[in-house]
Amino acid sequence: QDYNVTIAAGHPPVFRWVKMISDVFVPTVTEQVEAAGRSISFSEQYGGSLAKVGEELEAVEAGLAEIGTCQALFDPAKLAVQNVTYYTPFTTSDLGKVSTIIDDMHANLPAMTEAYGENGVVYLGAPIVIDDYLLMTNFPVNSLADLDGRKVAAPGAAINWLSGTGAVGVSGNLTTYYNELKTGVYDGVIVFASAALPGKLFEVAPFITKAGLGAQYAGSLCANEAWYDSLPQEAKDALAAGADAAQAWYVDQLEAAVTASLTAMGEAGATIQDAPDGMREAWAAGMDNAAREWADSLDAQGKPASEVLTNYMTAMRDAGATPLRNWDTE
Amino acid sequence: MTPFDIGLLSLLAMGVAVMAGMFVPIALMVCSFVGVWAIKGSPVLASKLLALAANDAISSYFFGVVPLFVLMGFIVSEAGFGRDAFDVANAAFRRLKGGLGVGTVGANAIFAAITGISIASAAVFTKIAVPQMIRHGYTPRFATGVVAGSSVLGMMIPPSLLLILFGILAEQSIGDLFIAGIGPGLLLAIFFSLGIVAMAIFTPRFVGSPDEADIPSLPRSELLKKALPIASLIILVLGGIYAGIFTPVEAGAMGAIGALVLGFAMGRLTLKSLWTVLVETGLVTATVCFLIIAAQMYSRMLALSGVPAGLGSLATDAELGYWGIILIYCAIVIAMGMILDSSSIMLILVPLMLPVVIPMNIDLIWFGIITVLAVEIGLLTPPFGISVYVIKATLDDPNITLGDIFKGAAPFALIMLLVLGLVLAFPAIATGLLR
Amino acid sequence: MSDTTTPQREPLPLRLLDGITQGLNVAGSTLILLLMTLVGIDVAGRNLAGNPISGVPELVTLSIVAIVFLQIPAALRQGRMTQSDAFIGWLTRTYPTIGNLLATLFDLIAIAVIWVILRETWPIFTRAWDRGEFVGAVGDFAAPVWPVKLILILGGSVLILQFAARIWRRYR
Ligand code: NA
Ligand code: NA
Repeated sequence: QDYNVTIAAGHPPVFRWVKMISDVFVPTVTEQVEAAGRSISFSEQYGGSLAKVGEELEAVEAGLAEIGTCQALFDPAKLAVQNVTYYTPFTTSDLGKVSTIIDDMHANLPAMTEAYGENGVVYLGAPIVIDDYLLMTNFPVNSLADLDGRKVAAPGAAINWLSGTGAVGVSGNLTTYYNELKTGVYDGVIVFASAALPGKLFEVAPFITKAGLGAQYAGSLCANEAWYDSLPQEAKDALAAGADAAQAWYVDQLEAAVTASLTAMGEAGATIQDAPDGMREAWAAGMDNAAREWADSLDAQGKPASEVLTNYMTAMRDAGATPLRNWDTE
Repeated sequence: MTPFDIGLLSLLAMGVAVMAGMFVPIALMVCSFVGVWAIKGSPVLASKLLALAANDAISSYFFGVVPLFVLMGFIVSEAGFGRDAFDVANAAFRRLKGGLGVGTVGANAIFAAITGISIASAAVFTKIAVPQMIRHGYTPRFATGVVAGSSVLGMMIPPSLLLILFGILAEQSIGDLFIAGIGPGLLLAIFFSLGIVAMAIFTPRFVGSPDEADIPSLPRSELLKKALPIASLIILVLGGIYAGIFTPVEAGAMGAIGALVLGFAMGRLTLKSLWTVLVETGLVTATVCFLIIAAQMYSRMLALSGVPAGLGSLATDAELGYWGIILIYCAIVIAMGMILDSSSIMLILVPLMLPVVIPMNIDLIWFGIITVLAVEIGLLTPPFGISVYVIKATLDDPNITLGDIFKGAAPFALIMLLVLGLVLAFPAIATGLLR
Repeated sequence: MSDTTTPQREPLPLRLLDGITQGLNVAGSTLILLLMTLVGIDVAGRNLAGNPISGVPELVTLSIVAIVFLQIPAALRQGRMTQSDAFIGWLTRTYPTIGNLLATLFDLIAIAVIWVILRETWPIFTRAWDRGEFVGAVGDFAAPVWPVKLILILGGSVLILQFAARIWRRYR
């Protein structure tokens, strides 16, 4: 073989962002490389067999894998500015828009790729985008006041979204939501539709409120820098083509999954509604500007978070999004 | 040599090193280091793999609560609640040949309702049951074997950290998995008990010559007094979980606090004994987690060698039909159980198998129970058998060798195999309570 | 440990090493107690006061690594580290010189492999320190990771010394 490539992902292949690697990225790259008269073999190490979730970046940096899913969401110290979307809720529910803009920013904004270089990796593409976060509860929600005193679980930085709602934000994890909701450890969760359906969360939290908290960016494919630099241009082009194909496939699949998930959950008896009048606005207005705090604290560490924040919000507004809060200018 | 050959060779090297007397975690680490070096051709890469695993392998909430479950177990033991449960169980089985052994299984089944891991069960009953059984004429080999065998109940009877892990990997309801674990757990306890009585009658040289005539029968009031503390702990832990007050993962800490309060309130604990318990908890936790770190280094090296993927595709590519795939899957899980720790096996194999078994429309709850049962056999099999290692670490007696404990545990591994077969043949044992 | 139990007082470096080992052991045990308390307060806060402690899962996650590396030197010292000693025990009884050589070889291998881990952990530690790496999320809860890396290096170093002490004691 001309190229031997190990790919690491902490999640198992049931996750769409892992499936996109084995179903689209690997075949596309293989095809391109072979078209150029070369051969390539992949060793696909998913589900934590080589690196756990959040450890992929380290494994790629060390060279244990050539390519991996660099999970900014689970590695917020190393890929700090990449978490911009989680600090700017109520910006857009359009996951395709997030995918395009984040990919563009990686291509055009040095501030965005700086962190990769610091960690000895390069950005390949195929952003892992998460569909619009929903509020799912085991009680009906007619106004923001209904959340008062309720225990609501949210992942990582998204727990900031509960500030000002009166809800008790509990740091939670997608994997145990079902059980915790069933026994009543939480009364609700902030979660996305494409995971809520397979996780059967509608059985235990049948009131689904679409508040437009927003689609998010969680990570992307990255490659070991020294290895990538040693590749001839044709191989780099093949990787880029693979990442582009994976990105297109992922966005299509995810958009279809969101529609299908909401339909299926509705048919299964869940009550799905847009947030009642005024609730969205009241929610957004009452929230702390965590984006400011986040950007300032990263700026102080020499990480260009304010630049990324401004660029992201500007790009979103230019692309027609109507954020409820202008996190960058407040 | 291909990476696959290196992987296979490393299995042999690990076995030899362990047999020759190298510390097991060190043997695993050295084999991982040399293996990655040989596969990737770089000692630097090999040392990076070791360092990353040392830093990250057990760095999870899931492993973080292990010492809390062990602590709860040791407080229960130190405060004499475990001993009480053991006495109650013995009073019930005192007329049986092998009654103490059956009592150990019964007490372990009770204790399983408050612990989420087998490590805690093995450690606690090593302290409580092994000295008693030896004093009453059982061979050390058999006494430790009974404890090793019945410790697996800790993971089958809810709560169970392994069932939680499966639920996470397969996106199945943890509550359903817990309920499905009850039937096979009780069946295991019954078969262990039958096996113990049978061995006491038919293989006296293996079991020893138990003399249990002097075990007193307990009057009803005494029975109640001894049963009450442990019963209230069970109510606290299970009640707390099912009432949504805390999560099964938090149950270790809550159970430890409950046992602590109860122990001090009943005057069964002192600050000094609490400190002894804490130090002991630390030593057992460190020993076991250090092993798990080493095992995960080893499993990452194996992943790079392609051996697990090769075994996996053996199961998935072989056109064997439904039963062929399920049986070969169980065989591979059991084989991997000889050399890897429980969570590594599940992390490697479950995601590999799900895409194969989901189209076959199998009941994933049942599949989870099968998986955990097969994985747990590995707790008892050499060269890497965590339950046996925990007993050795807790026993702290140079006269009882690892080999003795492995031999003592062997019949129980066979009984588990039998129960696995029954759950395979009659899925209702697991899923009956759900339908 | 009193002198009446050991026929011959051990040299100062060995006693010092055992003292340090025991100190780490105490620290690790205390950490376990703190974890228990932390989870307890979190559960109580969440249910009774509507006010959970932020970052408990993260703290539990960080602590386990610290607990293990604080206690593993003591586990080795007290003969708890897992070993199948049937063969080497027999060898040492029958051919003491060869048995001791083999045991020493195993100890040297252990020193080497722990050293390899520590050497590669050092840059992980310095980077975590320099860059202020943390777990958690800005705005909610964040805890630095460098203390755990430092404890890993500290515990690992004492573990290496305990392996060396085994060799010393063997030939003393
Ligand atoms: Na249990
Ligand atoms: Na085993």
